[in-house]
Amino acid sequence: MKIIVAIKQVPERDAQVRIDAAGKGIDETDLQWALNESDAYALEEALRLKEANGGEVIVLSAGPERVGSTIREALAKGADRAIHIDVEDLAQRDVFNVAQLLAAAIKPESPDLVLTGLQSDDLGYGQTGVILAELLGLPHASLILHVEKSASGLTVKRELEEGWFQTIDLPTPALLTIQSGGNKLRYATLMGIKKAKTKEQRRIPAADLGVAAAQSVTLDRIALPHKQKSTQLLPGSAKEAAAALVEKLKFEARVL
Amino acid sequence: MSGVWVVLEEHDGRIGRISWEALAAGHALGAQLGLPVSAIVPGANTDATAAEAATKAVDKVVRIEHPLLAVYTSDAFTLALEQFLRSVTPEYIVFPHTYQVRDYAPALAARFSRVLIGDVTALAAGPVFQRQLLQGRLVGDYRASGPGPHFLSVQSGAFRADQLPSASATIEVFTPQIEPEQMRTKPSAPFRASAQTVDLSSAPLIVSVGRGIKEADNLPLVQELAAALGAELAASRPICDNGWLPIERQIGSSGQTVAPKLYLAVGISGAIQHLVGIKGSQCIVAINKDPDAPIFEVADYGIVGDLFDVVPALTAALKAAQS
Amino acid sequence: MTLLLPTLAEPATFALGEKLLFLALAAASAALFARRLSPIVRNILRARKDSDFHLFPIGRRAWDFFWEVICQAKVIQQRPLPGLAHAFVFWGFCAFALVTLNHCAVGLGIGFLSPQSWFGRFYFYFAAAFALTCAAGIAGLFIRRFLVRPRWLGAKLSWESGFIAFLIFALMVTYLAAFFVADTAPAARMLWWAHTLSLLIFLPIIPHTKHLHLVLSPATVFLSRGGFSQIPPLSGDEDFGLVAGTDLTQLTVLQSYSCVECGRCTEHCPAANTGKLLNPKEIVLGLRSYLNDLGPASEEPLLGKYNAQEAVFQCTTCGACEFQCPVGIEHLPILVGLRRGAVNTGAWEDDHGAKLFLALERGSNALGLGTAERDKFVQKQAFPIFDGSQEYCLWLGCMGGYDPKGREIVADFARVMNYLGTSYGVLRKEKCTGDPVRRLGNDLLFQQLAESNLELLAQNKVRKIVTICPHCVRTIAEDWKEFGAPPEIEHHSEFLARHLSQLPTVPDQEKIVYHDPCYLGRYRNVYDEPRAVVSSAGQLVEAPRSGERSFCCGAGGGLAFLGEETGERVSHMRAAELAATGATTVAAACPFCNTMLRDAFAAQANAPQLIDIAQLTARSLPPVPSATV
Repeated sequence: MKIIVAIKQVPERDAQVRIDAAGKGIDETDLQWALNESDAYALEEALRLKEANGGEVIVLSAGPERVGSTIREALAKGADRAIHIDVEDLAQRDVFNVAQLLAAAIKPESPDLVLTGLQSDDLGYGQTGVILAELLGLPHASLILHVEKSASGLTVKRELEEGWFQTIDLPTPALLTIQSGGNKLRYATLMGIKKAKTKEQRRIPAADLGVAAAQSVTLDRIALPHKQKSTQLLPGSAKEAAAALVEKLKFEARVL
Repeated sequence: MSGVWVVLEEHDGRIGRISWEALAAGHALGAQLGLPVSAIVPGANTDATAAEAATKAVDKVVRIEHPLLAVYTSDAFTLALEQFLRSVTPEYIVFPHTYQVRDYAPALAARFSRVLIGDVTALAAGPVFQRQLLQGRLVGDYRASGPGPHFLSVQSGAFRADQLPSASATIEVFTPQIEPEQMRTKPSAPFRASAQTVDLSSAPLIVSVGRGIKEADNLPLVQELAAALGAELAASRPICDNGWLPIERQIGSSGQTVAPKLYLAVGISGAIQHLVGIKGSQCIVAINKDPDAPIFEVADYGIVGDLFDVVPALTAALKAAQS
Repeated sequence: MTLLLPTLAEPATFALGEKLLFLALAAASAALFARRLSPIVRNILRARKDSDFHLFPIGRRAWDFFWEVICQAKVIQQRPLPGLAHAFVFWGFCAFALVTLNHCAVGLGIGFLSPQSWFGRFYFYFAAAFALTCAAGIAGLFIRRFLVRPRWLGAKLSWESGFIAFLIFALMVTYLAAFFVADTAPAARMLWWAHTLSLLIFLPIIPHTKHLHLVLSPATVFLSRGGFSQIPPLSGDEDFGLVAGTDLTQLTVLQSYSCVECGRCTEHCPAANTGKLLNPKEIVLGLRSYLNDLGPASEEPLLGKYNAQEAVFQCTTCGACEFQCPVGIEHLPILVGLRRGAVNTGAWEDDHGAKLFLALERGSNALGLGTAERDKFVQKQAFPIFDGSQEYCLWLGCMGGYDPKGREIVADFARVMNYLGTSYGVLRKEKCTGDPVRRLGNDLLFQQLAESNLELLAQNKVRKIVTICPHCVRTIAEDWKEFGAPPEIEHHSEFLARHLSQLPTVPDQEKIVYHDPCYLGRYRNVYDEPRAVVSSAGQLVEAPRSGERSFCCGAGGGLAFLGEETGERVSHMRAAELAATGATTVAAACPFCNTMLRDAFAAQANAPQLIDIAQLTARSLPPVPSATV
């Protein structure tokens, strides 16, 4: 099975993010980057499929020079080769446009399976995979926790709301967006990093893919949320506090 | 026939709260733009749901009806909605941000070379749509450019559904052209993880009990609370060490790591071994009589008080809210 | 003048046949000895070269040799009675060297020590004194092994050891008995032959039994890396730690063959004492069996048939084994080396371990919490931010920055520094020092953490660090050296002890037992400073196992992050021991010990109060109207 995993480099979970001078993006100076979490699970699923069924795992990522470190990390974890779409103007492209870039790079590879993470930890659109399936004309399923090869294609386990699941059968080639937590992730090893040095990393300039920057939705401004997370202590008698808590959980935290 | 169209999602013959919230967002948007607001109910048997939607002061309700829409597949839903939207060329289409919408709306928007503005939390003049970035650490203002249709989905709880106006509307039926072979994915019936095994890691709601409970005989108090919430029961290490609850319900560095929507810690002081197991929780509530307990450092909401008073009161309040 | 004392009887003459027989037997014994020893020597020489395998620094090595080998200091210190018995046997052997040489020479008719000469006379009596103590010593050891039977010597009785003891005893007795017969008596000849045969039988038994340590351990002690838990740097692109036989270096092979199976390491091992699979002695013997079966050129994995991966990952790296070992075996580089082999190649699969590694790949602390939590704490305490102008950088560490109890310790220590007027600041951000991943053998992650921290400290122009965590101290001061020059660092106990005269003392008769953290004691040799701090706040009492022989809390070696233990919890065993001293307060000096013991005391009725030494000092300070945790 030839599997392409689309991965994204995002600011490290712990990174202290600052808004840039224009107020439209994050200041990238001194920012530390990491592999997007659900993409790590997509990569893990791809590696497990390869270990079970044979084949090849190719990682694909779009971004500037810095993306190279995340690509090397994926190679170190066991991907066989990598394609890096060299693109500097990601901020001028919307998610549809980025999906077009990825689709242009995927098409000539004709993979059996394309995996993406469910959503990115930075912009959090959760759309790249679904749009990519549309552009590639592939059947897709999202929020996938587990993938198995079947006689006719794939059988996957999809997460539904409120603790429900379903299985979906779909033919290959197909695209799946992978939910975090379905597998246990492997850790990076010294041996993996050393092996990664010898693996193929192909760089394709975005211009060569014939997809010009465009956007139908613009991000005008980013700001800090009004409320920083802090503990709200609910005062009053046990009865009053309990009633206030139920109200907060319903309408403020929205978890009920 | 421009306007704002709101897609309502139906489950087991009922329209969920989040869909009504999407309708509330549609109303707000329509009011701002001076556009009529209509509702769409896709499905195979939308009689009752359409009738309910028609009472919510909408311009009209359209039932997109087809037997192949009985069970959700992204192929059928995308196709049906595409055909309908091409026939009406709306300005805005508003969705509830559900797992189902996330599965097909981006593809639907892509067919119109548009991008869904997903998970919107607020609406401002412009219209400007606000959504969270970096998992809530930042918020972003989005604007759609160019002619419609524009697509957006609204986050659960962002708009108040209980203030929808009421008035009756006309109901129309739209029949899309769908062939069975166009549906490439074959979904099974939904199932729940088997009730026998405890899987705290995927539980959306967890009530967890610690040493504050004092004796095993007091456990029913929190069991009732968990039942009222529909939550799984878990515990800190000393409770499991004492054998009051089985070890697979232990949360913390030597037990399970959980990431529920709601983690309600009852009588747990919050030793670090416990805190590392719950850090992925979306919302943490702590009930403890010690105001200096470290659990309050990480909690979103806290009640400082005797759990033997607070827990029964909370159970009662939850039951009252549900009825 | 008539002699008042008898003298050593030696047969005056030997027939040619007798001489030839002796020569033949001696040659056979020597040949057998050489045949058995040579594969061992070959294995040592064929093993991978070790950059630590050299003679320098000669001064330190000579001292170790003198102290540990000649004086038998470690042997006696750790187990005084059997240690002394062993020392007498050892010294007896040394004294006997000349006697034995002469004994053989007599057999060939060329004896050079005459009982009639003053020197010979003196020396025979000198050796006789040693023979007496040696015989008594070996008899004592025999009684211990076969009648007392301490648990750490293993359940199986070693008849081979009994036989050797018998031979040694026979050597001594046959020597001493010769003082009571006349030269010409047939008994003298019989004794000579009995002595000779004992010797010639003893010799070939040495190489394939634990008595090999007679030959190797002096070299092992002399050549040991020195220091404590010195984990060697990886060399080149193909070195991932101890994966297969080809990774065993000359030093490791020499050490494996030197083990005398005394079981001191097992006796003090927290894992072995709480019913876990790990037994440090068996790890060393496992390597020895591997080498005997497969040799140092084998590509077979070291973990599997000969040593279990599970056992290797049960080590708390407390270092009691390495510290106790009388023959210079360095267990920690071996255990950590085996872990490196498993982790650096991805062979170790463990949910908790992977979670720890992923938390540190993606984040900054071993607990996997967001840095915002640390920021909140720093803000709440209004700690000054380090800007290069302050004397000390107060390093919070993961426990100090994130653990609620660790934070209390840091806050109290900061109060003491405020009281003293010491200038300090905390860094805006810091990463885990890499201690748990270093001990678990993840070199990739350790290097990343060490390098990024070193860069951070250099950027902030940090020159002096003080911290409440002994693990941070050790890792920064010693382990980071591989990647750069770390700033000076000290543990808060050292700081507090130095400033005790400026701090108020509250005379209190409260009994306080001090628990030595492994990483402060054995790893840093700091025993007196925290005790001085404790003594200033109450009456210091000692636990049965304390100081250099302190018993671990169970957290080290990354084990604090590895989930539930098998067998009894180490922390519970230690907590019970501390509680049994009758002290009302337990003073800890490490946030990991603190959290482990706190958990253990929680399960006990009437547990003593648990407090860090910084908190002992802080509670005697006059109250200040500032924020508390």
